[in-house]
Amino acid sequence: MGSVVVEQLRKDFSGVTVLQNIDLDIKEGEFFALLGPSGCGKTTTMRCIAGFESPTSGTIKIGDRDVAKLAPNERNCGMVFQSYALFPHMNVFDNVAYSLNIKELRKGNLFKKVGVYTRMLNSKLVKYPKEIEKKVMDILEYVELTDHAKKLTSELSGGQQQRVALARALVMEPEVLLMDEPLSNLDLKLRHTMRNTIRRIQQDLKITTIFVTHDQEEAMSMADRIAVMKDGEILQIGTPTDLYSNPKTPFIADFVGTSNILPGKVVASDNGITTVQIGNQQIKSVTQTDKTDVQVIIRPENINVLNGGSDDYDNAFEGTIQFATYLGNTVRYDIKVGEHQLVVDTTYESGDSIKRSGEKVRLGVSPERVLLI
Amino acid sequence: MSKLKRFLSGMGFIKLLIYGFFLLFLIIPLLSVFLVAFTNEPINVFGSLISLEQMQTTIEQFKNATLDNFKSIFSYGHYFQGLLNSLKLSLIVSLWVLVICIPIAYGIARTKMPFKKTISGLVTIPLVIPTFISAYAFIIMFGRSGWVTYIYQQLGGEGMLIDPYSMTGIAIVQIFFFFPYALWPMVAAFKVSDVSLEEASRNMGAKSWLTFITVTFPLVIPGMLSTALVIFAVSFSDFGTPIILAPSDLNLIVVDAYREIAGFFNWGGAAILTVIMIAVAGVIYWLQNYLLKGRDYGTLSGKPKKIKLIENKALTVPLAIFSGFVVIIPLLAMGTIFLQSIATTWGKDPLPSGYTLEHYKTIFTSSLGNIQNSLVLAGGALVLSVIIAIFVSYFVVRHRSITLDFMTTVPLIVPGIALGIALIQTFNTAPLQLTGTALILIIAYTIRRLPYMVRSTVGTMKSIKQDIEEAAVNLGASTLTAAVTVVGPLMLPGIAAGSILVFVTVIKETSISILMAPAEWAPMSLAIFQNVLRAEYYSAAAMSVILVIMVLLLQALANKLSGGNKS
Repeated sequence: MGSVVVEQLRKDFSGVTVLQNIDLDIKEGEFFALLGPSGCGKTTTMRCIAGFESPTSGTIKIGDRDVAKLAPNERNCGMVFQSYALFPHMNVFDNVAYSLNIKELRKGNLFKKVGVYTRMLNSKLVKYPKEIEKKVMDILEYVELTDHAKKLTSELSGGQQQRVALARALVMEPEVLLMDEPLSNLDLKLRHTMRNTIRRIQQDLKITTIFVTHDQEEAMSMADRIAVMKDGEILQIGTPTDLYSNPKTPFIADFVGTSNILPGKVVASDNGITTVQIGNQQIKSVTQTDKTDVQVIIRPENINVLNGGSDDYDNAFEGTIQFATYLGNTVRYDIKVGEHQLVVDTTYESGDSIKRSGEKVRLGVSPERVLLI
Repeated sequence: MSKLKRFLSGMGFIKLLIYGFFLLFLIIPLLSVFLVAFTNEPINVFGSLISLEQMQTTIEQFKNATLDNFKSIFSYGHYFQGLLNSLKLSLIVSLWVLVICIPIAYGIARTKMPFKKTISGLVTIPLVIPTFISAYAFIIMFGRSGWVTYIYQQLGGEGMLIDPYSMTGIAIVQIFFFFPYALWPMVAAFKVSDVSLEEASRNMGAKSWLTFITVTFPLVIPGMLSTALVIFAVSFSDFGTPIILAPSDLNLIVVDAYREIAGFFNWGGAAILTVIMIAVAGVIYWLQNYLLKGRDYGTLSGKPKKIKLIENKALTVPLAIFSGFVVIIPLLAMGTIFLQSIATTWGKDPLPSGYTLEHYKTIFTSSLGNIQNSLVLAGGALVLSVIIAIFVSYFVVRHRSITLDFMTTVPLIVPGIALGIALIQTFNTAPLQLTGTALILIIAYTIRRLPYMVRSTVGTMKSIKQDIEEAAVNLGASTLTAAVTVVGPLMLPGIAAGSILVFVTVIKETSISILMAPAEWAPMSLAIFQNVLRAEYYSAAAMSVILVIMVLLLQALANKLSGGNKS
């Protein structure tokens, strides 16, 4: 197992910069997600670490080795590809045993080499040694594929193929496990199961894992820390809760979960309370800022729909319900306040408690839940 | 500097070698034959590069360059007549092929005509028979002492039904042996064109024949035009039929070119004819691509529905009879060759006077060398084209090399006889005197058939996703190990199918063999050709039968390897 340190990574493709100022410090045994919309450079970053792209500048260290000069086949980082990239002409067992064959190929003499080569071309001709056999069967048992060892990979379901890809990467005991959108080819239900499987295995083996995804829910539920990327740069690195509560930019606030983002002007600041003017409304926040033009961020679940006038809030507004969306345990309202549109989530109680379009409501937000960026 | 070194040490070096190969054996010969058309005498390209003296001579040659050859083409002379005749022949052949193919293609695509499977199977037979053998078969059938002529005269006819030694004879052979090239594209066109449009027409009250003329037929026209051009090109560059059948008073450009070089050593004349041939073939190729571009309107109205096959006996029975008649003629030709090969003598009677295996014995004792030569030459071309095709497809697919992609399509356009003349001219003198060696023969075969191989390997290479290769490398394999254990096995079916195709077409090859093969390397096709010229018909027939059987077996193997998905 090893840590991964990336410093000032930069990558140009024929004059166009696709990555710059990438700094990562991933700890041993950490589950680290690279999150961002497509084209943000997350996959390129991972491919630089794996060695499939050579960085224009910057350093990459795995453990204490500087891997910049190492070929991709010398880096010992197991990769799970988006398409799984299983070898279609080999069965499950041969797929998983591939890296073990390669290891044997490296140390053996010429005679042994020919043997291993033959086995890789047709495993019926040359037998596997006991220890390889055991290792492969162990890992297959671990991913619950023992019964499928002799099947061709094309005979397996999507989830099973995914587990073969995982087993194939794990069996080489890599220092880092790289996963490139591994769940994007699975249906919703399977995706949830595989999330748990991957997380369980990662915790079990304590293997440093870098996980590329565009799905914020996936990243939030699995990763220890997340780096949010956009346009070839890292915007923010933090734990899931950190990113959610303290997004550094409006983009992150919107990309990680849903946010109401309103532009405003700071009009007063005293006693730790900042007052911001939004249109003809004023809103109070505990955030300290020296800017005058700010973005006001409020999470939908932090806006309360007040029943009657009893609740006492520092920030209270009048609004009109535009429409209500029933989402199971929550009800999401689109509410018009002044000239702004707000999204508000409330806990579902009963059918007749849902407000109707056109209904006037009072809204309250506590200043602790109002974020200024 | 280190960058250059790295480039040259790896795949870059191989890429350079491949470019060199194409430059040396395709581009320079074609350019040089073009120049010879002006200088009127052979020029020595490679000599000029290494010797100043030779350079002087070459420059001197250019000073004397004239446009005489070009003028002679357009002054209604001998060559112009040849070009005109060739164009006329190709036009006749492609039109007749269309006419013949429409009912057969319609029958296969849209009806439940009787014996459809058998007919579709037999249709592939003409493609495996080299045209000079079919031409020769027509002589045995329709010639002065042929059995067709016998029957014709018994029925009261005078002379011959068709004189094989004529434009008509050549056209008929080409029509009956080239029509399968057009048939399958046309079957596809009939299948694709939207049946619901026809249903709409019928729904509006049109009778079915009216529907066919006003809706079905116009929809397949673009497809038909482009197939007609394919036939035009095939007929225009076919050498086997005219060299056997063209009478001395009928000029055809391919035969003229061959005679200029093999008979009179008239380099200027051969060169100008070569230039013209390539120009015509190039224009046809361009036209065909142009037509294919706007081809989509056959499927204009969305997803074609499942086709309901017509069962009406009044239509299907005549269609089956017609199709049967067309496919039976090549079969009769082959049968005639077979009969001749086991005949003691076969004069002016419908059947031979006796049967013997003597001719086969003769072949296996005295002409075994030709069979060996064919196998060695085809094997050499196979190995060379496998190696080149694998790397070319790697560069085309992974490095997106457009230049290499283009270079491997050039041989598709250049007629065999033209390529042969260009190569002979270029490698006729020191320092690279290769004309008359087996090596240049193998290279000529390779260049000519490489497109088939490359098409096959590019197809499979494209189906291997790059991340599969990367996965192997990620698991610790070197690029070479990944290539051997992952990419190689996955490409194998494509390579196998392609190489059999190369092997088969080289064995069948006529123009290059006749033009370039030295006596000690004479392959089967050249031996048959010479036997026909020497009127040793029986051994020619026996050798032809052996050749066709070899081709049939290999073709069946290739179809099996490519998963039978060729239609």
